[in-house]
Amino acid sequence: MSANKLNTEGIMLFEQPFARVPYENYRKVFRTSQKNIEKELGAVQTAASDIAKRAKPESSDAEDAIKAVDGMITRVENLKRKLADLQSSSGAPTLGVMRERFQHLMSVETMQTTNDPEFPRWADTRLDRWLVDWSLRNGKEKTAKMIADDRGVERLVDIDLFSDIRRIEDALKQRSCAEALVWCSENKSALRKVKNTLEFDLRLQEYIELARAGKNIEAIAYSKRHLLPWQETHLPQIRQASALLCFPSTTTCSPYKRLYDLSRWHSLIQSFRLAFYNLSTLPSEPLLHLAMYAGLASLKLPACYDPQTKNVDCPVCDPSLGKLAEEVPFSHHVNSTIVCRLTGRIMDEDNKPMAFPNSGQVYSREALEDMATRNDGIVKDPQTGETCEFSALRRLFIS
Amino acid sequence: MEGPLKELGRLEKLVSDSSWKGKTPSINDSLDSLLHSLREVKDRLQVGTATDETLTILSKTVETRKKEIDDRQKEVYNALAKMGKALDKKFHTPLPTYSPLFFSPEANAALERTIALHFLRTGQFNTAETFIEESSVDIDDDTRRQFKKLHEIVTALREQDIGPALQWAERNREFLHNRSSPLEFLLHRSRYLRFLTSNDARGQYAAIAYAQDHFPPFYGQHESEIRQLMGCLLYMPIWRLIASPYANLASPSLHLDLEPMFAKEYCASLGMSRQVPLRVVGDIGGGGALARIEKGRKVMRERKSEWSHSEELPIEIPLPPENRYHSIFACPVSKEQSTDQNPPMMMGCGHVITKDSLQKLSKPGGRVKCPYCPVESQLSSALRVHF
Repeated sequence: MSANKLNTEGIMLFEQPFARVPYENYRKVFRTSQKNIEKELGAVQTAASDIAKRAKPESSDAEDAIKAVDGMITRVENLKRKLADLQSSSGAPTLGVMRERFQHLMSVETMQTTNDPEFPRWADTRLDRWLVDWSLRNGKEKTAKMIADDRGVERLVDIDLFSDIRRIEDALKQRSCAEALVWCSENKSALRKVKNTLEFDLRLQEYIELARAGKNIEAIAYSKRHLLPWQETHLPQIRQASALLCFPSTTTCSPYKRLYDLSRWHSLIQSFRLAFYNLSTLPSEPLLHLAMYAGLASLKLPACYDPQTKNVDCPVCDPSLGKLAEEVPFSHHVNSTIVCRLTGRIMDEDNKPMAFPNSGQVYSREALEDMATRNDGIVKDPQTGETCEFSALRRLFIS
Repeated sequence: MEGPLKELGRLEKLVSDSSWKGKTPSINDSLDSLLHSLREVKDRLQVGTATDETLTILSKTVETRKKEIDDRQKEVYNALAKMGKALDKKFHTPLPTYSPLFFSPEANAALERTIALHFLRTGQFNTAETFIEESSVDIDDDTRRQFKKLHEIVTALREQDIGPALQWAERNREFLHNRSSPLEFLLHRSRYLRFLTSNDARGQYAAIAYAQDHFPPFYGQHESEIRQLMGCLLYMPIWRLIASPYANLASPSLHLDLEPMFAKEYCASLGMSRQVPLRVVGDIGGGGALARIEKGRKVMRERKSEWSHSEELPIEIPLPPENRYHSIFACPVSKEQSTDQNPPMMMGCGHVITKDSLQKLSKPGGRVKCPYCPVESQLSSALRVHF
């Protein structure tokens, strides 16, 4: 059956963040190494050209020159150590994670069908990964760590990434923008590229807090320093912010009341989260939700909600999953598929449908034949109790 | 993933300090050589053999080394950029953005319950406990006990101990009988075959004794199978059995199949599904359904038409046969799916169409000519069928 063929493209749709997160991490490692090199070697270069210009080695200047060269040696040694540390603490592990993840994806690409004996294990791991992602996004870190540990998927999940998010969010909950601002400056160019203005929102909030505390002088200085650079894009907001100083935090004047509103902190947390997800190529919804949306929609039928036609094996018929499926559309079908309620198998040319002559209850020939051989040729409908000879059953045709 | 893996290999070589030679020396080598030059100059300064030139040369050496290092970094940078391109090529479609799903308190509770049951169902009991602590979900003790039991029995089966499973099967004999499940017999068969194929010389006698003790009650239902099992005795030891007409009974999968079969019956007895539901949903959603739904959406957007009704997907998602749980009847005349108001009707000839279509096709005198065969029948003789 072709439906068992693995849809690699459909599988890969989910895997972009899985491959990208370590890649972005490695880019960060590279940027750090670049910064170190520029700083240390730049200084060595200046020192070298300095003494080359200035020193006359035969005189007492030799002492100075020795000192200068010593300084250069220390710098180079420092740089060497820093780079080695960086490589062993982040560089090499990140490359390892990348290799493991790429190979994990490669392994599913080489499978042909869902019947491949390796596929169930792969799919189990994928579900574990999704559950870790879901737990981390929902503040259930212990569960996430437990799954990662228990199932040995530490290198396939991004617990560290989320503990970063958690740290900054906790700070925002305590009404401190400092940590989030550090993150913004670390990711300045990436944020600019996606035209994200989280930094302005954070700056504005710090300004509002100064105004709330009645520190007007400080507020004006802050505005000059941190808000003004945004004038090209945010002039109206900056103007409004300036006027804020005329209003006390108890004001009822709505635009300013809104600025003082403490719920702004909550939306800051949301915007930070979205910016972080965006930069890490993580979707705004947990991967588990996306998979469930599509999976439930593919299965959902009106029959799942009718007590007469519920089937315990159907996920959507499960009360909890059925509740979740209320949010997704029904599946769409152009062709008939008749499933035998006794065997769970699809009826077709090789396993034709047969109907009881009075009740019209339909089952597969396979199931009815089996029943007849055990019952001296008599069949009994489990729904209505109708009994008849096997030969009295009626064949029906579904086209 | 060949593309990204190839680029990764290149990057790994570039940043490692191994003996691999790129276009440029490794940064570590450049730094070492720079250190060497610096120390040499220091020595010469100390013993007084340095000249103006020494320092000019040193300055130049620093330049050269720095350039070397910069070049190497550029190579790394290019390798990273190439990998980025390989990833872009591999992952050309971003994940779709949906408005928050399963957000309401009821949905969240249902989701947490689903996840907690998933951990229990898959035997991750410690994770389940941690999860239940971290969330507001409550799973009653009975349910937990049932899952623990399932896990214990399945673990025992995996370790070739059929005792607990057999105990359960005996206690639930009537339930199994009603489902015409051969589980209990197959458990006995497994033990018999293990005796028979053991390396122990007395295995055969143990097998015969076991058969005498346990097979008679099953003779009515499994006569021919018991005959075959006894027939195996003629082809002992195991290497002869493998080449005999009973080779299929020597297969180890016979014993491995017991595990899923037991889990299925056990779950059915508790009204639970035979597959792990979250896995089923995830495999379908993550196995192409989302991609298809998104493709459908895109086509609809391009045609500038919204879905005719957002209550139903615009396209059909193919499902493997094991994931078809309900019958679907689409009328071949009207193409509409049957409902309670518009049920499927079987005409005298056995062809099935929906009631509405049947009525439209009826002629005066209550006769209907089947659109698929030459037979004409009475409207009143059409039988409502139930799938």
